[in-house]
Order: sequence, then structure tokens, then C-alpha cells
Amino acid sequence: MSDIDYTIKSINGGLKRGEFSIEEIFKEHIKKIKKENPKLNAYLSVFDYKKPEHEEGMLAGVPCAIKDNILIEGEKCTAASKILKDYIAPYDATVISKLKDAGAVFLGKTNLDEFAMGSTTENSAFGPTLNPHDHGRVTGGSSGGSAAAVAAGLAVYALGTDTGGSIRNPASLCGVVGLKPTYGLVSRSGLIAMASSLDQAGPLTKNVEDAAIVLNAIAGHDPMDSTSVSSARKLPDYSANLNKPIEDFKVAVPKEFFSEGLDGQVNDLIQKSIAKLESLGAHIDEVSLPMADYALAVYYIITPAEVSANLARYDGIKYGYSAHKKAKSLLDVYLDSRAEGLGEEVRRRIMLGTYTLSSGYYDAYYKKAQKVRTLIKQDFHKIFEKYDIIVGPTMPTPAPKFGELDNPLAQYLADIYTAGVNIAGLPAISVPCGFAKVDGHDLPVGFQIIGEHFGEEKILQVAHALESH
Amino acid sequence: MANISKKEVEHIAELARIRIGEKEKDKLTEDLGAILGYIDKLKEVNTEGIEPVSNIAGLESVFRKDEKPLRPQEEKTRQIIDQAPEIKDGYVKVKSVFEGK
Repeated sequence: MSDIDYTIKSINGGLKRGEFSIEEIFKEHIKKIKKENPKLNAYLSVFDYKKPEHEEGMLAGVPCAIKDNILIEGEKCTAASKILKDYIAPYDATVISKLKDAGAVFLGKTNLDEFAMGSTTENSAFGPTLNPHDHGRVTGGSSGGSAAAVAAGLAVYALGTDTGGSIRNPASLCGVVGLKPTYGLVSRSGLIAMASSLDQAGPLTKNVEDAAIVLNAIAGHDPMDSTSVSSARKLPDYSANLNKPIEDFKVAVPKEFFSEGLDGQVNDLIQKSIAKLESLGAHIDEVSLPMADYALAVYYIITPAEVSANLARYDGIKYGYSAHKKAKSLLDVYLDSRAEGLGEEVRRRIMLGTYTLSSGYYDAYYKKAQKVRTLIKQDFHKIFEKYDIIVGPTMPTPAPKFGELDNPLAQYLADIYTAGVNIAGLPAISVPCGFAKVDGHDLPVGFQIIGEHFGEEKILQVAHALESH
Repeated sequence: MANISKKEVEHIAELARIRIGEKEKDKLTEDLGAILGYIDKLKEVNTEGIEPVSNIAGLESVFRKDEKPLRPQEEKTRQIIDQAPEIKDGYVKVKSVFEGK
């Protein structure tokens, strides 16, 4: 078995059968990382071996990677920003405590767009990650390091975060499975905040079964996150229904997801997957999400507004990069620390958010966006009254070349099919559905399956059916 | 497209506490103008009588008892303060804000 093929289940089996030890499989991965990471730049830091706290269960001893905006106590957490270059996390994020309880072993922290702001991982202060399928192309983003690590066999699975598509986008462009759970299902405590009403952590994995296994470990109520799922809600075993037939599933295909920006080869592959669902007994209907066209505009009001508030804490006083040595006044410390420590896209979003929240503009932008958000949510709910799932492309194109999306708006438009899902707080999964041929390279394409709130079981079931047929 | 002026960009940068140079001012005026031009399409949507979203998954305010914090804070305090760029006698040091002395 080659290391690219290692899955959670195969590692678990290998450990049980005594084919290798936890330390051996960890070191095998580290060796490969040391060899390939200098070129790929998927990892920002790599750890020494630490014996897991527990050795029972599916995840015990399985080496994983963590996006570098999720805190692991005692380790650097940079958010791929110069302003947090030397920051040491003082505690574990809840998702990390949960993985530790499950016996996880951490390989290191992965690259991202600075503070998760971007769609290509080109906005990292520590250089972009290369797409394992074509080194001249981006991984997507912002969880590009996590997606590339899993795709290249440098981790068995990884955690990412998804605010407007940041798990599904790189999963699609790197050819792995990426799951963004319902808002609130997974705790945000210990995630470096970007847009608090949208952020959600989730797994990037080699197959659908692994995504369900990781979700089982990280989902659930957390008193440290006031927006987390109620402790009264009983959560299912997300692996239980994977092999059940999807016969008679009602599948909605929104016509708005197939508009002019969609690449021809991507469209063909998506249509093939839809036909496959039909051949497995699902009923397919074309539907309309009339508000879909406005989701991205809502996203680019709400996100910068919340960013401008969340990133006010980086002031050169409490932690991180500071310009205090050369600054003459307290105001200079703020102005210069932020100008020098934060990257261009981050500064742009803070500026945009400061503008839309400023006196006289709040009603016209933020409040208006939150009202349209209600309409977008209603749009989706109307569909879910009649249908089990919504499907379509994850991304409008295969992986772009470095520098191809060369202005902010072009980058923002990459989120066109993913951002609406976060706006409505829904769960969605991107599952590989084939390759587009571009300049002699096979570039992966992802198929997106969207569920209703807390409908993870169904989207995993459908994704598994597509994967195994 | 350009529905934000250079003067407004200067004002916003001041509010956001980010120093910007002349060149960046021009670029930001152009970039923000383009993005605002795009998000302006929300004006087409009739939102009369529509309530704004507060929590998307329908959760309501959550309170906890005013008692011991959930994470042990005492032991962390030192570790957190130690990460400040400037420290004096165990406190975070900032530049003086009053003139004179």
C-alpha cells in the first residue's frame, strides 16, 4: 500500500494487526513531509512525535494535520500572518481537545490564506502552497495547506475551517473530500476568529467514510462556544447510514448554479454525477434559488464587517508583531503595527468592514445584508420542504494558475457556489467527481452536496453512494 | 464604480488604525470602489418587513452561571502576559498617553 492510500480505517487496521506502531506510522509521514514539503509548502510547522493520550478508537494513532488558525497548546499558531509569526497558543481549541481524547497524533500545522481570507492560499505571509496535481497552480483556499497535505499523502486527514468555502474550495481543487458542518455543530472555541457568524471547522479527508469518522469525534455542544449546538440535541453516528441506498432521494439542482461563469469540463463532470444519482434511484428536479445571485454580495458585506471587529485585537500591545520600538506615541504603535504586521488582503477587508459599519452606512450595508440573509435562508428552506439535498458544482473552474485571479473581485467570485451555504448556516460536502484535462494535466473537480440544518447524515450518505459507484 | 472618495479612504484608515501611504491610498480607493460597486446590487432586493438574521441556526442567547471560569485562568495569566511585546514588573507596558512629564 502506498502512503497516498492510507485512510483512517487502513491505519487503524494496520495498527491492530501490528503491521506498524503508532510511532512508526507517524515517522513515515514526517519523513515524507521533510522530503516533499520544501517544494509544496503545505505545512508551516512540523511537530516531534508525542505519544497519544488514548490508544483506543478509530482515530487513535492516526497522524493528522491542523490548519494553522486552530490552537494547539504550546505550539505556534500563526494564522499565516506576520503579526502572529511567533505567537504560542496558550490552550487547546475544543476540536483539538476532542481529537486528543480520540487519540489523534498531530503532524503539524498547515498553510492558509492569512487569517483564512482568500480563495487560493496565495495570501499567506509565508508563501503559497502548490497544488500536488500541477505545481503551477493554486490549491484553492483558504485551507490550501490542509487539502494539499491530504492529497499528497502528507497526512491521513486534516482539519480546516470554512467561512465562505474555505474547506470545500481547496478540497475540490486538490481532489479530496471536504465537509463543512452546520453552523454550530462543531465548536469555534480556539479557532482564530475571522467572521464569527459564519466560521465553522471541519475535516478534509481521502474518502467520505473518513469524513464521517472525524465528524463523529469533533461534533457536539461546547459551553465555551455560545453559538454551539444545544446539549439537548442528540447527535447521530455519522458513519451509520453510509451504505444505505439512496433510492427515492429527492435531489434539487438549482439552475443558478449553472450560469455563464461555469467551466465546460466542470459542467460535464457535474452532469455525469447527477446522472449517476439518477441511476441509483434518486429523483432529480431542476429548481430555482432566486436569491442565490445575491449571496456573494451579502457575504462580502458581513465577512469584512465581522473581520474589522475581530481583528481589532491585533494592536501591537497584547501579543504578536509590534512596532513599539520605533513608534513615538501609542497611536503610532497601533498604526504601524497593523500596517506592517497585516497583509494586503487583510487590511483591505478591515477597511471595507470599517466603512460598511461606520456611522451612516450601517443600515445601508450590514443591516440590509442581514435582511437579505433571511431571504436567502428562506430560499433554501423552501427547497428543503420538498427535497432531501441540493447538488451542483463546488467551484466554477478547476484550479487556476498562480496569479490568475489577479484582482480582489476575481478572487471573491471563486466563492460563488460556496458562500451562500455559509450565509444560510447549512452543511455541505465536496466530493471528487473526476478530472478536467488542462494543458496536459489532470485537474480534480469537486461535486457539492448541500443539506438542511443538521442534515449531515444525508449528505454523507449521498457522497458515499457517489464515491462507491 | 468609484463611490468612495480618497478622503473617505483616509478617514476609514484612521478609524481602522492602519497607516496607509499615498500609493496604497489610490489602490484602496480603486479596490474598495470596485467591491462596493459589486455589493451595491443588494439595493435591487426588496427587504421591506424582513427581519435581519441574528443567529442563522436559530439559537438564542445563552447564559452561563457567574462562577468559576470554564478554563483554569490563573495558571495561564503569566503565559499570556509573557507574550506581550513590552512588559514591566509583570504588567503589559504601553506608551504614555498624557503630554508632559
